Amino acid sequence: MAATGTSRRGRSLYRWKEYSVGYMFLLPWTIGFAVFMAFPIGWSLFISFHTVAFKAEGMEYTFVGIENYRRVLAEDSEYSVKLLLYFQEVVIMIPLIILFSFLVSILLNQRFRGRMLFRALFFLPVIFATGQVLMELFRQGQGDLPFISQYGLEEIVASAVGVQFAAPVLGVLSKAVIILWYSGVQILIFIAGFQTIPGSIYEAIRIDGASPWESFWKITLPAMKPFIGLCTLYTFVDMFTFPFNPIMELVSKHMFLQKTGYGYSSAMAWLYFAVVLVMMLTVIWFTSRSRKSG
Amino acid sequence: MHVMTTRKVRLGRLSLLIALTGLALFMMLPIVFLFNHAFKPLNELFLFPPRFLVSNPTAQNFERLWNATSDDLVPFTRYLFNSVIVVSTTLVAVVVVSSMAAYALAKFKFHFRSVIMSLIYVSLMFAAETVQIPRYLIISGIGVSDTYFAHILPFIAAPVSVFLLIQFIGQIPDSLLEAAKIDGATEWTMFMRIVVPLAAPAISTVAILTFQAVWGDTEASTLYIHEETLKTLPYYIQTLSQATQNAVSGQGMIAAAGLMMFVPNLIVFLLFQNRVMETMVNSGIKE
Repeated sequence: MAATGTSRRGRSLYRWKEYSVGYMFLLPWTIGFAVFMAFPIGWSLFISFHTVAFKAEGMEYTFVGIENYRRVLAEDSEYSVKLLLYFQEVVIMIPLIILFSFLVSILLNQRFRGRMLFRALFFLPVIFATGQVLMELFRQGQGDLPFISQYGLEEIVASAVGVQFAAPVLGVLSKAVIILWYSGVQILIFIAGFQTIPGSIYEAIRIDGASPWESFWKITLPAMKPFIGLCTLYTFVDMFTFPFNPIMELVSKHMFLQKTGYGYSSAMAWLYFAVVLVMMLTVIWFTSRSRKSG
Repeated sequence: MHVMTTRKVRLGRLSLLIALTGLALFMMLPIVFLFNHAFKPLNELFLFPPRFLVSNPTAQNFERLWNATSDDLVPFTRYLFNSVIVVSTTLVAVVVVSSMAAYALAKFKFHFRSVIMSLIYVSLMFAAETVQIPRYLIISGIGVSDTYFAHILPFIAAPVSVFLLIQFIGQIPDSLLEAAKIDGATEWTMFMRIVVPLAAPAISTVAILTFQAVWGDTEASTLYIHEETLKTLPYYIQTLSQATQNAVSGQGMIAAAGLMMFVPNLIVFLLFQNRVMETMVNSGIKE
């Protein structure tokens, strides 16, 4: 009896010792995260159930229940439409970005002369990540592809995919430029991912008589699965938190409007967030499932 | 048969190179544009349709920018100094703090691990814009407004950096760490000597991204800092371009300022991207 008691205490002591190292490494980040991420996010949830008035002595909260959410859904005509359109667009964009960056990174992973230069060039979009440069370009009208209107592409697309899908498809086409410029980090992740596959495996499978095509399907793709998942998630986050996306613009616009205010815009953000989260969890679920089976 | 396949491969490679070159040239367009735009004289800036390349390059935009800044109370160099301090401190802090956290989350077992992981996923979705006001209240609540900390602290707990690093640190084989442990390495030596070098590509990526975010950030200067001498360069350039937006000469100044903001991005990118290339292949990382 006593023996099991000590051993259990010994075990828990050992475990605590093992755990404590992890805690030490995690501690600085956790503090920062709690103060500057978790707490503000919780606060904004709290605010979304209130109306906020800025008074001289501070902020005044009035509890209104789900009134803000109801108004966003029922009364705001702009919100639902923009949300729907943006989702349509993103659902098309994400696979395109992943596919494009995966292909480019495979090409860049080959051995050829000047590949360092090419890699550097394809990572360049990373430094437009903050959007200032891109916005400047759009302001100048250089971001669009002029041939879309020139060659009457709109009608062709509309007749090909049907009128109701024409708008998102055209949106994607006109944003081909963005797809290119948004794949910087993804290409980077993929190439870094390729480096984790040791060359000896490829040698071994080649000696066994596998073609490059087979070795791609049997070795590269399974080994890259976690990175594909990572990239998908990253693209997801990137697209949805992009400060110039129509929803974020709407949220920021309402933040300081007299009629709607901070509570209303928080409710907007949380609704948006809920939808995005459901989509993201689906992606995570899929990738974790494929990882298990793969 | 064999000869034919090699020829096919060679042909494929050639077309591949051509396609890549085309795309790469396309990727360079924004940079070419930025540089050309900053050196355009006024009459070229207002051409319609806008021209991509400059035909009579001139430095007058930079001169104007310099003259406009020399009348101000706070000298231009002060903003630059603030930016350099803030960016370098934040960069070091973010890299150290997030790689430590990612190491713990990827390689250690402890309570609440899955809770923290899901918290990271959740907070990834939250754009900074939506939590501006609560953050402002916290900054003033803990009494760091009007200090450099107000610039630095909000960036440190970046969920994106940890999220990227976890995946890469997770790829480091446990056996490597165990071997080091048996050889008597402390946790800290293992972190510094094994984890950090092997995760160098991911860490460089994080460094590049963090630099972008901090260098271009105007939020801290706008919201948390009232003291003019503690604000940073992007804020200054923003106010400058807002003040001169409607003036004809302002456009040239904005273009020049845009280039000046961009060049450090390019330099940092070039510095770090080489590290990203460093292959882990030869280090025998994978089991």
